[in-house]
Amino acid sequence: MKTRRLVRLVVIYGGLMLFYVFLLLPICWLVLSSFRNTDSIQSGRLLPVWSELTGNNYVDAFHISNFPVFLRNSFLIATTVMLLVVFLGSLGAYSLSRFQLRGKHYFMLAALLPQFFPYVLVLIPFYVLMSNLGLVDSHIGLILTHTSITLPFALWMLTGYFKAIPQELDQAALIDGCSRLGVLFRIIYPVAIPGLVVAGFFAFVVSWGDYLFVSILSQSNETQTLPIGLQAFMQSLQVRWGLITAGTVIAIVPTVLFFAVVQRRLVAGLTAGAVK
Amino acid sequence: MTLQIKREESAAPPSARYTLWKRLKRECFGYLLLLPSLLVILGLNLYPTVSGILTSLTNRSLIDPTKSQFVGFDNFARLFGEPVFRISFLHSLELTIAAVFLQVLLGLILAHLLIQRVPGIQLFRGVAMVTWVLPIIASVVMWTFLTLPNYGFFNIVIRQAGFGGWARNWFGDQTYAFLLVLIMHLWRNVPFYAVAFMAAMQAIPGELYEASRMDGASNWQQFVHITLPNLRYIILVMVVLHVTFTFNNFDFVYLSTGGGPVTATEVLPTYIYKQAWNGYALGYASAGGVVMLVVLVILVSVCRRLIGGFTEE
Repeated sequence: MKTRRLVRLVVIYGGLMLFYVFLLLPICWLVLSSFRNTDSIQSGRLLPVWSELTGNNYVDAFHISNFPVFLRNSFLIATTVMLLVVFLGSLGAYSLSRFQLRGKHYFMLAALLPQFFPYVLVLIPFYVLMSNLGLVDSHIGLILTHTSITLPFALWMLTGYFKAIPQELDQAALIDGCSRLGVLFRIIYPVAIPGLVVAGFFAFVVSWGDYLFVSILSQSNETQTLPIGLQAFMQSLQVRWGLITAGTVIAIVPTVLFFAVVQRRLVAGLTAGAVK
Repeated sequence: MTLQIKREESAAPPSARYTLWKRLKRECFGYLLLLPSLLVILGLNLYPTVSGILTSLTNRSLIDPTKSQFVGFDNFARLFGEPVFRISFLHSLELTIAAVFLQVLLGLILAHLLIQRVPGIQLFRGVAMVTWVLPIIASVVMWTFLTLPNYGFFNIVIRQAGFGGWARNWFGDQTYAFLLVLIMHLWRNVPFYAVAFMAAMQAIPGELYEASRMDGASNWQQFVHITLPNLRYIILVMVVLHVTFTFNNFDFVYLSTGGGPVTATEVLPTYIYKQAWNGYALGYASAGGVVMLVVLVILVSVCRRLIGGFTEE
């Protein structure tokens, strides 16, 4: 019996190791390399010696071209999109979960449909639309774009989330003289924080990582974001992998930190309750 | 809502006009709250899509996007006569089917490992989805860097193990580039499948397993007759989600290989993107997008049939 238990443990940990080496190796290799100097990276050795470790890549990354500008743009756009999506999404979800509206089901369907449309197709009229509105190469244009691609899903998810909150709570607050919007902000928001955070996280991550839309709708350094910057790095700095890896690490830190916060709620939120 | 209406009625039966007015007011307020989302979804999602479909019937060009002529189905005829389009089409299908199939398979295996109660399992569960949240450009940098010809991780290991002849520029190799794109898709999404499957597995009542155990069912029989049927809904959700994601994904291929070497990794999104923004042919590219849309609808409904059809109650 004891050997059987041991075999079971070996199989489980062995299997987990296989998966996690595959999953974590690229990340570890990236982080390790970002602290190595160029000679060390090109030495053909797997592990650096102590003297080759350096933090200069990070310092230098901030000095090349427009990296700080890209970082600022990414933060500005992704944060605004996150707040906007959570705010608009929760208004809409409140309406869809609490009011009897005609055509609600069609609207829910219409909201989900765009998720299946090829972005490369949508991008073409999007560009024409944005240039008609004069929003090409502007922060507002990118914020609107990212909001539009993330709002449908956030709305859908939050509606499910709000529906699970007992309506008796609303009723009690209404009887106590709370306004309808007050109910949303004072009663539903506190209860729905996990859902709101996941919706916000989703919007942030999509906006932060988007390359496709930014590559077309942004045409100068003033509006370009990190993904564009990193791609430009990769092409122009070919041999200076220390810099490229350091830049990439900087780009993933915010999403990884944010992920650490929402991790437990993420899957239930992303599959919009399909798990249960 | 029913609760409140009942309470109002029992308190003081209001006139019919009064309740109607109140209901209307409330409904208006509901629409008002929905208005911003409605505008964004209609204006920035549905309108561009319809407009894109209409563009596919014109010869619109990026040189002057305001002018265009109706050309009927010319773009579609040209598309199917174009060898690179056909190659991209096949690649997209191959990639989507292979990636989603392997993701379900590996996701089930990983879910099975993650659901075991062993020390430290919470840590494994916790970090699992980290690959999913990274920007795709970051994943591409990682995999490019692992597979660099001279000092990439893989080639260093291969050389040190004495198989120097196997070292190569992986992303620049016609055979391996496509495989690497597939691996990057697996790398990003398998943990998402696993964690979702795991959550669904945890919701299956333990009595089912106990009862079948008493009837002498093997682990494999339990998996086939209890676990899988209970997972079919979440499997369907994940498959539909990822068929869409993989088929539409532009970033992995464009950022890692740009569709090359030659056309070894060209997929529909990258082909269409290049036609539109490097070739200025917006109408022609839109036609490609419409083809994608149609294929996607077919793929999704096939998945629904395959997974949902035979188990529908």
